[in-house]
Amino acid sequence: MTIDWITVSAQIINFLFLVWLLKHFLYQPVIRTIERREQHIADRLTVAQERERLAEEKAHNHQHKVEELERTREQFFTKAKHDAEKTKRQMLDEARDEVTVTRKHWQRQTIQEKEEFLRNLQRQAADIIQVIARKTLADLANAGLEEQIAHCFIQRLKALNDKDFRKALRQSSAPVIIVSAFELSAATRGRLTRAVHEHLAEGVEVEYDESPQLVCGIELTAEGRRLSWNSDDYLEQLNDRVEEVLASARATG
Amino acid sequence: MTISPDSITLFKWGALHLNATIVFTWLVMALLTLISWLITRRLTTGTRISRWQNLLEVLVVGMRDQIREVSHQEPGQYLPFVGTLFLFIAIANLLNIVPGYIAPTGSLSTTTALAICVFVAVPLFGIAYEGPLAYFKHYLKPTVLMLPFNIIGEISRTIALAVRLYGNIMSGTVIVAILLSLTPYFFPVVMQLLGLLTGMIQAYIFAVLAMVYIASATSARSRIDKGKNQHETRSD
Repeated sequence: MTIDWITVSAQIINFLFLVWLLKHFLYQPVIRTIERREQHIADRLTVAQERERLAEEKAHNHQHKVEELERTREQFFTKAKHDAEKTKRQMLDEARDEVTVTRKHWQRQTIQEKEEFLRNLQRQAADIIQVIARKTLADLANAGLEEQIAHCFIQRLKALNDKDFRKALRQSSAPVIIVSAFELSAATRGRLTRAVHEHLAEGVEVEYDESPQLVCGIELTAEGRRLSWNSDDYLEQLNDRVEEVLASARATG
Repeated sequence: MTISPDSITLFKWGALHLNATIVFTWLVMALLTLISWLITRRLTTGTRISRWQNLLEVLVVGMRDQIREVSHQEPGQYLPFVGTLFLFIAIANLLNIVPGYIAPTGSLSTTTALAICVFVAVPLFGIAYEGPLAYFKHYLKPTVLMLPFNIIGEISRTIALAVRLYGNIMSGTVIVAILLSLTPYFFPVVMQLLGLLTGMIQAYIFAVLAMVYIASATSARSRIDKGKNQHETRSD
């Protein structure tokens, strides 16, 4: 157990030299590497945190956009629903108006057609009645329709109790105009002229005229007054009857 | 039987005698430096590293953690000194399994040299940390009468450090040599394994004690200051 002081000194130098060597070749490089790696990891962590923050921000924005989109979609949907409802109502109103117009038009047309039909019916019925009446009267009483109409007219003249009218006729110089739907025979004209002179005014001038508008009858016009007999009354009754029949047919149809 | 490698002269050149202690110390130094240089020249900062780099990093980080744990201070300035103490002693002891190798730590000259290094390093670190006046005041505490005892304590713990390491390593070598002559084959191998364990423990103890001594010289003042600050804060 001896101490060699030369060796001790050499070992001290050796040890200090080893400290220096290891400091340069071991500790410093390794620590530097570890620190760099830690810095690198810290940087990556920072980057990762930043990315996470950005991702969260993006996710938040995305969520916000989705919510906004949902809200906008809801608004659009509500508006579209409202517009559709409005358009539907408008179209329904238009259709209703159109239907009303069409119905009115149709009703008007129907009425026109009906009136036309009735007019035709009236005219044809008058013609037929006139023919039938004439034939019937000729066959049964040996008398013409015209004479019979003239007779009925004369009866009406007789029954007329209008003093003012008679007075006006006597004072007037204007002729009395007798209009008939058909041509009157001379004999009938004579009977009529006599009847006018006898029941209305003596000596008054009588003129004759024809008008198919009267259908089947005789009409006297003088001093703004009118006296007539024609088959219009009977035809009006026929008309009313036909309308009743048509109305009942529509109701059942 | 040769007890100390100091007495084994390997080279003789005039008045210069190279004994086994110095030669094997150089061998250990060369080995440590070479391995360090070979590994550290290809260090990577990436996450995929070689196993050798991993070994060095584990070693360095382990030593740093140990120093931090013992001294409660940042290990930066102490690592080269304390880490080299540990590595040199550990490698010098581990190489005992190589036939023909004689551990330089089995020489009292080497352990004395290392102990002297610690003996000098302790006040140096202490002075560097808190200044010469403040450091030397510790020797007068708690009273001036304690100065001789403090000095004796410093010297005796340095001697203890040197003799402990020398005794353990030398005794291990001697015991193996004696057993080898008495019961060859099996038993010396077991003792050799035990010697490896003892060598590692001794390296650890030497390094940790050195660190404790340095820490006691540097952190005593800071502990006192911290205590004072805490007291002042509490009284406020």
